[in-house]
Amino acid sequence: MTALTRRNVLSAAAATAATAVGPATLPEAAAAEAEDMQLFVTLSAAITGIDAKILAPAVDPIDIKRQYFKVASTDLAFCQILKITKDAPNPAAAADRVMNNPEPAVKYLGRSIILAWYSGCWYKPETLRAYNSPNPPPPPVNPDKVISPAAYTQGWMWRVAQTHPMGYSEWRFGYWATDPPPLDDFIGKHA
Amino acid sequence: MRANRSLAIGVATVCSVIGLFGLSASAQTSSGPAPINPPVAKCNMTPDTNPQNPKEPYPITDKLLTSGQPCEPVVSIEGLLPNDPLGNLQRGFDFYSWLTFIALNSPADGKTIGHGSGPGGDAPTEWESLKNYRPLADVMLPGGAKPSWGTRIVPDACKRLDGPGKVILQVTEEAWNQPFKTGPLIDQDGNYALFDILMNEPMFDFILDNGLYSKQGQQKFNEQVDFPEGVNPDDKKQPPSPGLMGAIMLKTSWRVIDPGKDKDLAARFHTADTLIYFPGPPYTKAGPTCIEKTLGLVGFHVGHKTKDSPQWVWSTFEQVDNVPDDANVAADRLSPHYNFFNAACWNCPRNQTPPQPWDPPATLHFPTDFRSQVVRVNSLPPEVIDEVADLNRQFRAILKGTVWENYELITTQWPTDAKSRVDPTGAPAPTYLANTTLETYSQGSVPLASSSCMACHGNATTQHDPATASDFTFILEKAR
Repeated sequence: MTALTRRNVLSAAAATAATAVGPATLPEAAAAEAEDMQLFVTLSAAITGIDAKILAPAVDPIDIKRQYFKVASTDLAFCQILKITKDAPNPAAAADRVMNNPEPAVKYLGRSIILAWYSGCWYKPETLRAYNSPNPPPPPVNPDKVISPAAYTQGWMWRVAQTHPMGYSEWRFGYWATDPPPLDDFIGKHA
Repeated sequence: MRANRSLAIGVATVCSVIGLFGLSASAQTSSGPAPINPPVAKCNMTPDTNPQNPKEPYPITDKLLTSGQPCEPVVSIEGLLPNDPLGNLQRGFDFYSWLTFIALNSPADGKTIGHGSGPGGDAPTEWESLKNYRPLADVMLPGGAKPSWGTRIVPDACKRLDGPGKVILQVTEEAWNQPFKTGPLIDQDGNYALFDILMNEPMFDFILDNGLYSKQGQQKFNEQVDFPEGVNPDDKKQPPSPGLMGAIMLKTSWRVIDPGKDKDLAARFHTADTLIYFPGPPYTKAGPTCIEKTLGLVGFHVGHKTKDSPQWVWSTFEQVDNVPDDANVAADRLSPHYNFFNAACWNCPRNQTPPQPWDPPATLHFPTDFRSQVVRVNSLPPEVIDEVADLNRQFRAILKGTVWENYELITTQWPTDAKSRVDPTGAPAPTYLANTTLETYSQGSVPLASSSCMACHGNATTQHDPATASDFTFILEKAR
């Protein structure tokens, strides 16, 4: 079932009204989608601790945010976290309201989004909730899926560790004999 | 070592360099040896949009056919696409690629492209002239011998066939086996496609001056390999700085053209009367021998190192009849003829390597009835495909009536974050890029398995022990 977002509603409205009013409504759908993406990136930066400009640079050939947005938007609580982010006075407040939300669907979706950015894998919110229950299933906690080959290579946990995923590296021959760049170079200025 | 000889000029020679700005590329400074990357008379600095109004495209007219070779791309985040800096930059790089293609494929005798005396105005090109480019086989010589610029090397076995205008192509494994030994490409006539690698004079001079043409020389070289960069002139600086071309390397792919059987096709290709030399064991099973064939250009890679793209800029072109793309195959929108696809063979396995053994015989004819059935796997973002298609339509229009209207740009890969301290490949865009004649079997979008110019070339090393990075070129590993 597709989550209802303002973007989807506008897209559907545009599709059905196109013959009546032509393409005039389509830019509205694109603008709504852009706004939703911006909210998603703002929240993602706040909950991952990685600068938004690094998470989603202006010139972004891989555009991994789009893949994470797409998978997160399949969750019913997605609209809600976008609204929380939009209504919050600042990103830190948005992060707090999502991660400490009394509704489990919201707070665990926040955790799923963090794990998507860090691991390139999707852990369903209900999976994470089950592992935080009084009778959790035995470990390991397996992801629902690796989101894509690109997501596997873009996991932030590798960059925080100043290294690279198994089987993939952008580094040139002999890099292992030298110290990695400082952490700031990977994730920006951090606390 | 003279790795940065182009920078090692004292005050006494600065004035000489400025005085030479505007003269020929081969001019020498008044003292000291010629620089590796000398000033060039002209850099084509045409941008893809109107400099006064970035939202207007620069007109693609016949004037661009004589506008010359760019020393580096002129690109901007502002352009025809609203709120799309990546798209605007991509278009700028693709525009640069077309200017480069036109300049390199212009006749070596100075005529305008498409105004040669051959069919479709064909003529030997600038890059086929030994004044401008040198084939790899003439640089990495047996025994690590010292190469020289401009000399034409004719193997003994080819002397009986040699004549004016003949091109010599030496068959090494690189001439028929695709990268990472993924196999040969066999055209629909059953002939091997052939590949060649060439470099321009700044790249050659860097190799020569640093002794990198031999294993022994590379072992002695303990610095970082850093080929010279292309830079546009800047007359706002004090003193003004001249344009420098920088290192350019080419990789070409060819199919055999039968003058009888393919006479109706021949006018759709740039062709070269070629002497194909098989040196014999251990390099080829066949030979030593030499055969003569007419070859038609089917693929054209350009790698250009520039100041703003130290990971190089990677452009690739194909002849338009090479292969259908996967969308056209699925929709059954096929042409009657392709170089590497048979539209009538609906159940031929696609993009499969030929059966072994692979070493080509001296006839260049594959010993079984296998024919490569190649389909282009589209791994480019749709917006890039659309933008390139639009540029191709316009540039091919100004080449209409010439043999060169039968070539198209696939796209250009470039570093979006050239100064990145955590990604030495510079976050290339687009992420994947393949030429169906040169990376036939590694098309796709699987990280490190599918073709990406920078991801692959970033792993290239010298033959120094321990190995060192070789600045995005595999040329140095061919030294003997």
